[in-house]
Amino acid sequence: MLERLTQLPLRLRVFLFFAGLSVGGLVALGGGLWVGLTRVESAGVVSGFVTAGLVAGFGLLALSAWIWMLFDENVARAIERLSTALRARAHTDLDRALDPSHGQYLGDLAPAARAVTGTLAETKNALAEAVERETTRLAVENARLQALLADVPAGVILCAPDHQIVFYNGPARGILTKDRAPGLNRSLLDYLHAGPVKAAFARLSRDGATDAATDVLCACAQSGKMLAGRMRLVDLPQTGSGAPGYVLTLRDVTDELSLHAGREALLEEVFDRVRRPAANLQTVLAAGVAKDAKGRAALLSEVEHLAVAITELGARYDSARGQWWPMTSTGATELAEAIVAQAAQAGVHLTAHAADVRARVDVFQLVSLVVHLAERLVGRDQAGDMTLSIEEEPDGVLISLGWQGALVSVSELERWLAEPLDVGLADVTGRSVLAAHGSEAWPERASPDRGLLRIPLVTAWAGPEASQDVRRAVFDFDLMDRAPSGALAQTSLRALTCVVFDTETTGLLPSSGDEICQIAAVRLLGGRPVAGETFETLVDPGRPIPAAATEVHHITDADVRGAPPIETAARRFHDFADGAVLVAHNAPFDLEFLRRHETGIGRRFDHPVLDTVLLSAVVFGQTEVHTLDALCERLGIVIPSEVRHTAMGDTVATATALERLIPMLEAKGIRTFGEAVAAARRHARLLKDVNAPEHAPA
Amino acid sequence: MSALQDAEPPQVIIVEDEDNIALALMTVLGREGWRLTRFADGAEGLATIEERQPDLVLLDVMLPSLSGYEICQRIRMSDNLTKTRILMMTARGTSVERRKGLALGADAFITKPFDLRDLMGQVRRLLSDQSVILDRETGHA
Repeated sequence: MLERLTQLPLRLRVFLFFAGLSVGGLVALGGGLWVGLTRVESAGVVSGFVTAGLVAGFGLLALSAWIWMLFDENVARAIERLSTALRARAHTDLDRALDPSHGQYLGDLAPAARAVTGTLAETKNALAEAVERETTRLAVENARLQALLADVPAGVILCAPDHQIVFYNGPARGILTKDRAPGLNRSLLDYLHAGPVKAAFARLSRDGATDAATDVLCACAQSGKMLAGRMRLVDLPQTGSGAPGYVLTLRDVTDELSLHAGREALLEEVFDRVRRPAANLQTVLAAGVAKDAKGRAALLSEVEHLAVAITELGARYDSARGQWWPMTSTGATELAEAIVAQAAQAGVHLTAHAADVRARVDVFQLVSLVVHLAERLVGRDQAGDMTLSIEEEPDGVLISLGWQGALVSVSELERWLAEPLDVGLADVTGRSVLAAHGSEAWPERASPDRGLLRIPLVTAWAGPEASQDVRRAVFDFDLMDRAPSGALAQTSLRALTCVVFDTETTGLLPSSGDEICQIAAVRLLGGRPVAGETFETLVDPGRPIPAAATEVHHITDADVRGAPPIETAARRFHDFADGAVLVAHNAPFDLEFLRRHETGIGRRFDHPVLDTVLLSAVVFGQTEVHTLDALCERLGIVIPSEVRHTAMGDTVATATALERLIPMLEAKGIRTFGEAVAAARRHARLLKDVNAPEHAPA
Repeated sequence: MSALQDAEPPQVIIVEDEDNIALALMTVLGREGWRLTRFADGAEGLATIEERQPDLVLLDVMLPSLSGYEICQRIRMSDNLTKTRILMMTARGTSVERRKGLALGADAFITKPFDLRDLMGQVRRLLSDQSVILDRETGHA
């Protein structure tokens, strides 16, 4: 019967519905009058009319309530569900078909909506394919540029005119990072002492010529490293503000300056310590006292002073010899591979073995030297069975070039070392390469018919291992066009700098001693996550992690052993989130854990906050379920099961949800942070708003 | 039996191109009554060493015509000079240079300017036929 009714045209059903309502009203009225009439005889006319009115009134009330419930469930909520489903498909990339249960009593509306969303999905797919083709082409170009940039050894930073960072590469990240890594849309002046940067920018801006450049020497605010480089104005095509930004290329010259200062100090000390005994000697000799014992003692004493000074200063000079030459920390395997490859090009076959050790070397010159020696050995008497080994020694590494044949004489080796090497620089010989490395070379007999050329390298100078930092560049050129940010409440949601974060904890009750055991966060600019700007750390909660909690997030006591305590981890997280809007799914929960430790951390978590639970309620209505799983399901976000309930997995899901909620909020007329907070507050029944009063909308 | 206890005094050849140092060495070693010969040229010094097979050679590193390292290597490659001890002397005493000298066959390595008492101590040890490699500065044995 009901099924037959649903197959009738919607207009007929609405007519029948209202006809039924009228009939029901008449029946209630008739029933009331009949009951009243039966009471007239016993209770009088007035009582009969009152009874008739009450019965008819309650009947009409019950009928209205029933009709309202039917309308609410099958019309109002159905329309709401259908509209949010349509919005989700209109404003996000969700292309899943509409649920058939949505609007099943709304006649042709639901099938029509399904048809529209189907067509929309097809159109979007076609558009997406076209976009993807173009995006792939751009991605290839981008990858090529990234590869090129990754090989630029200097730190490169592009800044907007207000010194906000728009681009930085891997070396720049390495140079600027100590406790706090650089981030897009952060001020460069937070990382470098402002004076020299501002002065250089002002100098260039005064000249006004685009592409003008100037040298800069400045210090890193966190590490105190001395950085040298060049600043150049750039007027990028998309810049609408008129004021050009600038590119800053930087390199760490701390060691160079320190070495230079050391050499200066050594030179000064040489003069100081040699001048006095030399003058004394001259005086003693001129006085003619050398003939008696006292005079000879005086002479010997001065000579001894001179000898000690020269020996000591000479040793210091020798130990610093070669440090001025630019060298890199290089793995022995990498060095051996380079030697074998270059030797093969020269027609020399080498069998190589290298230990897992690093040395500070000029790879190009050292490879050229070893290959040169190998070539000479082969050319001398067809030396065969050539081997190369790079072994670790207590105070460095030892390169050994072995061959089958007669031992090389020292003078012959010296002749080879005196020959120029083909390294593209004038006056570079094997001897000069050895000197630059503070090394020597000599032949040794390994067995009666086998020789070895030894070249030891002292790795006491070894710098830190090559940075394992992500080498990719991080950029968002749209920031060049960003209007100066005004009051936060008026800032567009898309212009917000957000840090989306999540924590994993030992339990749900911070007041009962539960603590954070993992924090993860990603930074969003322009509503999009910034690749390479993420934060993730385990935290030692200072208490055992209950098995029930481990079952959820799979973090064990062993995992957090040695991890930083909450004070350290939260301080680092605070630095990461500095100046950003914090975003979390159920933010009061996570913030409660952090705010309890504010005294120990020494920072306040008074950031402006957006909560995706509340934003979900704003978009989808309060009656929907707003768990992270439900929200992701509605927005078509798939959280891989292996990362669900990991801090980073949930953070990425929340960030993606925010990314998709923003256009849906905009479609509802909620475009600014203030409007979003005001709209969220209307759902305070779900969660309290954790924004400080100063972040409240005007 | 050690060379010092032989009836014939030890024969020491000094290969040093700096006259003042050579004079000082000849004076100090001469007091011991040993048979001393000095050469300023590396090639001449080597020829005499090969001919006379001395007990000890005091060998400067930087020499005209033939370096001290080369002479050291040739002495060690010669079957007739296995008993000859070599004390190398240099004004540059980096660890890698000492290592090179010892690797090429020197028995000891001493850095200029040296204390004459230290030098004599090293010379006596070598002539006592102690097959120990001594290094004045590092004390390596």
